[in-house]
Amino acid sequence: MRLELRGITKRFSSLTANDNISITVEPGQIHSLLGENGAGKSTLMNVLFGLLHPDEGEIVIDGEVIKFADSGEAVRRGIGMVHQHFMLVPVFSVTENVVLGFEPTKSLNRIDYKKATDDIRRVSKEFNLEVDPDAIVENLSVGIQQRVEILKALSHDAELLILDEPTAVLTPQEIEALMAIMRSLAASGKSILFITHKLKEVRAIADVITIIRHGKVVGTAEPTASESELASLMVGREVELSVQKDAYAPGQIVFEIRDLVVRDDRGLAVVDGVSLDVYAGEILALAGVQGNGQTELVEAIAGMRRIESGTITMNGRDITNETPRNILDAGLGHIPEDRQRDGLVMTLSVADNLVLNTPRRAPFASHGTRNLGAVAQHAEQLVKDFDIRTTSVKEPVSSLSGGNQQKVIVARELSRNIDFLVASQPTRGLDVGSIEYVHRQIVIHRNRGNGSLVVSSELDEVYALGDRIAVMYAGKISGIVDPSTSREDIGLMMAGTTVGALSD
Amino acid sequence: MTIAEAPTNSVPKIAIHNTRTKVIGGIMIVLALFVIFVFAFGSSPGAHSQLTFDPVNTTNAPIRLGTLTVLTRWCNLILGLAMLGLGIEVFWRQPRRGVMARFGSVAVLMLLALLFWAVRTPGPSQISYVNLTSILVGSSEVVMVLIYGALSGVMCERSGVVNIAIEGQFIAGAFIGTIVASETSNFFFAAIVGAIAGGLIGLLLAFFAVRYLVDQIIVGIVIVTGISFFSAYLNQQVFTPYPNLNTGNIAPSLPIPLLYKIPIIGPLFFNQSGFFYCMIIFVCLVSFALFKTRYGLHVRAVGEHPDAAATVGINVARVRYINVALGGAVAGIGGVAFMASQGQFLPDYTSGFGYIALAAMIFGRWRPSGAVVASIIFGMGVYLAANLQEFSVPISGEILQMFPYLITIAVVAGLIGRVRPPAADGMPYIRD
Amino acid sequence: MSLTSQNPVIVTILALVLGFVVGAFIIIFTTATILDAFRGFFNSWGAPGHAFKITFDYVGAAYRDMFTGSVIDPAGFWHSLTTGKGWDNTLTPISETLTYATPLVIVSIAVGISFQTGLFNIGGNGQAVLGGIAGAVIGSMIKLPMIIHLPLTLIAGILGGALAGALPGVLKAYTGAHEVIVTIMENYVIYAFLLYVVLSTPYQQPGQANDIGRSVHSSAQLPPIFGEASGLRVSYGIFIAAGVVVFAWWFLERSSLGFDFRVTGASPSAAKASGISPRAVVILVFLISGGLAGLAGIVQVVSTTHYVDGTFLIGDAGIGFTAITVALLGRNKPVGILWAALLFGALGVGGRAMQAATGIPFDLATVIQSIVVLFVATPVLVKEIFRLRAGKTQALQLGTQGWG
Repeated sequence: MRLELRGITKRFSSLTANDNISITVEPGQIHSLLGENGAGKSTLMNVLFGLLHPDEGEIVIDGEVIKFADSGEAVRRGIGMVHQHFMLVPVFSVTENVVLGFEPTKSLNRIDYKKATDDIRRVSKEFNLEVDPDAIVENLSVGIQQRVEILKALSHDAELLILDEPTAVLTPQEIEALMAIMRSLAASGKSILFITHKLKEVRAIADVITIIRHGKVVGTAEPTASESELASLMVGREVELSVQKDAYAPGQIVFEIRDLVVRDDRGLAVVDGVSLDVYAGEILALAGVQGNGQTELVEAIAGMRRIESGTITMNGRDITNETPRNILDAGLGHIPEDRQRDGLVMTLSVADNLVLNTPRRAPFASHGTRNLGAVAQHAEQLVKDFDIRTTSVKEPVSSLSGGNQQKVIVARELSRNIDFLVASQPTRGLDVGSIEYVHRQIVIHRNRGNGSLVVSSELDEVYALGDRIAVMYAGKISGIVDPSTSREDIGLMMAGTTVGALSD
Repeated sequence: MTIAEAPTNSVPKIAIHNTRTKVIGGIMIVLALFVIFVFAFGSSPGAHSQLTFDPVNTTNAPIRLGTLTVLTRWCNLILGLAMLGLGIEVFWRQPRRGVMARFGSVAVLMLLALLFWAVRTPGPSQISYVNLTSILVGSSEVVMVLIYGALSGVMCERSGVVNIAIEGQFIAGAFIGTIVASETSNFFFAAIVGAIAGGLIGLLLAFFAVRYLVDQIIVGIVIVTGISFFSAYLNQQVFTPYPNLNTGNIAPSLPIPLLYKIPIIGPLFFNQSGFFYCMIIFVCLVSFALFKTRYGLHVRAVGEHPDAAATVGINVARVRYINVALGGAVAGIGGVAFMASQGQFLPDYTSGFGYIALAAMIFGRWRPSGAVVASIIFGMGVYLAANLQEFSVPISGEILQMFPYLITIAVVAGLIGRVRPPAADGMPYIRD
Repeated sequence: MSLTSQNPVIVTILALVLGFVVGAFIIIFTTATILDAFRGFFNSWGAPGHAFKITFDYVGAAYRDMFTGSVIDPAGFWHSLTTGKGWDNTLTPISETLTYATPLVIVSIAVGISFQTGLFNIGGNGQAVLGGIAGAVIGSMIKLPMIIHLPLTLIAGILGGALAGALPGVLKAYTGAHEVIVTIMENYVIYAFLLYVVLSTPYQQPGQANDIGRSVHSSAQLPPIFGEASGLRVSYGIFIAAGVVVFAWWFLERSSLGFDFRVTGASPSAAKASGISPRAVVILVFLISGGLAGLAGIVQVVSTTHYVDGTFLIGDAGIGFTAITVALLGRNKPVGILWAALLFGALGVGGRAMQAATGIPFDLATVIQSIVVLFVATPVLVKEIFRLRAGKTQALQLGTQGWG
């Protein structure tokens, strides 16, 4: 289909998320929408998919102006969406998920599962997307789940496929496979709108690139444009694409993990014999696609998950299965993966969040009574030192932007006199300015001679920060290499090949 | 380049190293030993207990079986050994599923052993027999009400709304039901009106929970409190000046020809009130609708992942309203059924059954079939505990009254962590 | 004072108004005299006016009796002011309200603290009863000088309530059992226990065959402030209640443990990540909440009833459930709870006065309470009814979700 967005504008009270956006997607075209986090891409897609109604502007499909009442109608019109956070019901089977809302029925409103399964197998074959219709979705790998999402859209006869940040959860090889699928879909006449903030992917796959910044379209580009051109269009200024680090001069081992085994709620070993060392003055970057045990590994380090066997030693002290309280007091700094759930208390003030880990330590409290003056003073200092944008330290932290919320966590951890820092996906969902900031802070910590473990599924970040790179797959470490290793090799390790198997 | 399939459905059956399972197993073993030593060996060798099978209600009685006389010691020994077997199995094998079902069975077996022991001759009790049929039939009244409640809970929670107000829907149904039944002697009509009352309460709950995002448990409790006192208020204002609106409404039994003559099973399944038969039909209907139909898939999707449902065009709010209203209606009918087995309305006589029904729903893992099994176990426990007094069991009446609630607490404590509610249960759905 | 729906006082007042309006309709539709008057609505020209007059008279009398029975009778007040006599009668309504509110404040604070931590303590009733029993036993079975006996009795009450709170606390901490079901079940268990105790020979009131327990000795009683002769029942218990309010404020706003509680209530996962032990918090919350509820129970015994009987704290409005509505109305904050408790205390006392004067059962007062609370919990609804300007409306989020 030929899709035109004309002058789409969407406002949320004082914020204009989309400002007069116009885009055209031709049939059979892979059109990429490039923008950093917070630029307004998700809002635009929600408008296009019928989940939001635009304040101004129109959507034109094949020359006809359309108004979507809800997303069901968008689907009926041929728009399919593969969401960043999958819209799949975990306890349902693949079949149930794919037919949801469009179920074939027999008498008495019963679902005709036979017909549904046959249809799925047919579409699956047609577009070369192998899935087992009877599998329960929560047991599938993330890459396969994404395939189910795509299948879902295709089985509703989508002519335009919107893919919202699809590669966040894939290995480089899976990304290649996805791109192959996209090319073949485009070749068969489908239009593809591919949303991302990743420069490399955009240049690899897109036919046309539209760049969005602060809700406005700031330009279009060919995939032949250079990364730095695209980056500066995306951000509006020259972007420093790498981080300045002092020379690498590792000291002693400050953090040791030995043969760690951690089980999840179902009894599976999600961390299956992991061993790592981190030296003083070093950042060890842990790469790997989400879902291979990194989350549980960090939880185990922070004392939030039980360790079945193995040890963790920090500065010579055994912190295996200690309480979070003891681990934090022993000198661990923790930037959690889900900042709004684990790192901050959204309804409390900025000041309270800035002392969240140490509310009883002098001078913030004595004899069980809090010293609110000291807390406020401490907060004012940190706001200044770390450039946290907030109207007042008494404001609830929920009123801060994502980037500033992360700054609160970073400020809290790094000002707390810690020895070792564990940072999990520290720049997820942040705009480029905040990403630069967080990276700088971590490097400062490193340059002072401290050790850090940075867990990230973004290869760019892994390369930028890591003095050494470890790769995790299926609960094990598939290898520890230095940053000169090629992306392809790291990609292979992320998919399970161990270092020994690589030639050269 | 092909991508390897992730192993599907490959969750290995690893026994969970669970101290809690061991504790539960241990408790079961202790109870079993108690039965063996106190109820079995504690009876003199010659003591015997009688087991009879004639229902209390002799109209439409089944074929008579005689009286079975058992030696108390042996009988209780067998029961005790069965309990011991279950307890050891839980302690040793630590099965992943069905632990609490075994626990519940042990509780029921223990109460039966207690009965046999209490009626032994020679012994202190005036009554020398255990009437199995009357126990089953008597329990079935309680079980029926619990099933109505648990079913209501399933219908609401499968769509993601916690219905704490079941107790209130019982009260409302019982109250309105007795008025209608007294005036018209027509229980079908009373059931309809009760359903409407329960449905309206459900709508009220849904209204606050869906539209205004108020915590569903709070709203439920406030509604129950309000209804409870409103009914007490009306009880004064209406039933005191007009007692004829609240009299003699026991629903008649409707025997199914031929089948009612079967001993034990006959009176239990084929000579019950219309409410009992309706309950069975409702259970089948809800099961069918929930797991086989389009509608049911939508409901379950809304209860598990409302965002996913919304993106395919399902109206989450509307599904919740409908389900909670229907669930409320079912609970309302349950209230009428309760009134119809008691004969009249008394303030607060539902005694927390609405909450026990919720425990049964959790026990039954949010499935109608499971809710039935759980309600049977709870219902028998409640009935036996309430009626032990007749058998001169040397425990004071007030302490016996505590048993159903203590059992519920024990079951709930043993269950959590083993069961998965619908993922979006209790969480308000917030549209952008 | 801006007229936005964000202003909690405005919302509360309007919710109250709505509650009374609904209450009025309930009275209208359930009172025979009014209904009869409306049945004859079209009989004559004067009939409608007559019907409305009867309505207003009746409803007005009911609400007026509520007010004079719980706060003050203006005529009596004037009389006392001018003649200097009859103060005892004039002050009785307020005294009654304060007496009723004393244990209510304490239990409501108990419930409010648990709500702020994201835990639902629905067992306030049972905990208060167990505290009352424990304290009453100490107060009546032994005899000691007052300076020891009274504090000992009070402490026994606190421990009794804490013991009752320990069960749901420990179960939740170690098994995750949902505290709503456990506390509701526990209430029923404790009611049965109460009957058992007051009917048992050692504890039953000598010479009584009914379910009344022994009276506490005078050395374990909190005397009325104005002396026995005045007939004003308000006792020194109100100072205990005031003390509890101050304690709760300090605890939640200033103490480290209270901070831990609030963090846990707002975000259990962040609490755990920042070093707070969720198990410790859960158990402590229920011990403190239960202990305070137990204190309320024993205060009720030593200051007002002097014994426990089969209907202790249950016969009225189930103090635990009223406490929930009070806590909600006061938005879980100690000062708000104090005002809400006084208000609902007045409602309760007034309800009884209304029943004595007009025969309308006082349960109506509880119904009005429930309605008011529902409206308060949904400021958006109130806003829609009164078309206030919208502030940023926030629904009352209390933390827990489902059975998780």
